[in-house]
Amino acid sequence: MDNLAKQLRDDAERIECTVSEELDERIRASLHGITPEAVAPPRPRSKSFSFWFASSLTGVAAAVTIIAIVNLQDPEPVPGPVDVTPALLNLPTIQWHVETAVLTTPLEQEIENLQSDLKKAEEAVKQDIDRLF
Amino acid sequence: MSSEAALIAAAKKGSATAFTDLVRTYREGLLRFLLTRAASYADAEDALQDTLINAFRYLHSYDPRWRFSTWLYRIAINNVSSLRPADTLELGDLSDESSDPLQHCIAASDRENLWQCARRRLSDDVYTAMWLRYVEDMSVNDISTVLDRSVSWTKVNLLRGRKTLDAELNKDATDDKSKAYG
Repeated sequence: MDNLAKQLRDDAERIECTVSEELDERIRASLHGITPEAVAPPRPRSKSFSFWFASSLTGVAAAVTIIAIVNLQDPEPVPGPVDVTPALLNLPTIQWHVETAVLTTPLEQEIENLQSDLKKAEEAVKQDIDRLF
Repeated sequence: MSSEAALIAAAKKGSATAFTDLVRTYREGLLRFLLTRAASYADAEDALQDTLINAFRYLHSYDPRWRFSTWLYRIAINNVSSLRPADTLELGDLSDESSDPLQHCIAASDRENLWQCARRRLSDDVYTAMWLRYVEDMSVNDISTVLDRSVSWTKVNLLRGRKTLDAELNKDATDDKSKAYG
């Protein structure tokens, strides 16, 4: 035991206190005046095997019934294909006449090429749109 | 079956006499502990009475895997916590020493009782942990159970409490030396 532990124990013993006869009587009287609460109620017993078997059977039967009801219903009519307007089918396809950038050039050059490609593509699209409408 | 186990079994069946015999060895230790936490001697006695009544009433919930003293202290600490704020001493606030019940119960000595110092310097839980460890010889596991704290919290705070009180003890020793040398 180290010094602190010894000191703490000694100092606790220096706290003088005793249970007086009066307090003893009081406690005794209080204890005789009460009854301890009953033992906690036992936990309900776990269900037997037959209970779980019956539950499983009921569950399976319910599932089969639901599946049967769902499958025996008349299938809903599937909507037919949407009619495509013939005019739309006759639209001319847009021709993309765009030169691709050469990827072997340095990045800055590539960006410039891409930007010019983009401009050309925009102009081509505009021309095609003007031609259509 | 040990005598304590036999007394517990009898008390569980409702024997107040068996319960009285069972707690006889713990009463003074509990009262001493409660005295360090209550605002007056009368409050400490009331707290002891409540603790024992609650213990008897709920003895059916006692788990024999615990030490009986551990279980009793847990009830006592709950009782102390449920006292009205005016009934408990705020640790660290003992400006009026004349109203301190501990002051009157400590045998005269040339130095301050370490538990008085602990009350000033430590928090409630750390104080209780220190008491259970060094007065009641409880294991760290039991202390963590009583305080409803983790084992690591208990270890760390016991160490902190020790360091604090060690510093106080060394300070006292240094003061004594300096007085001796003028």
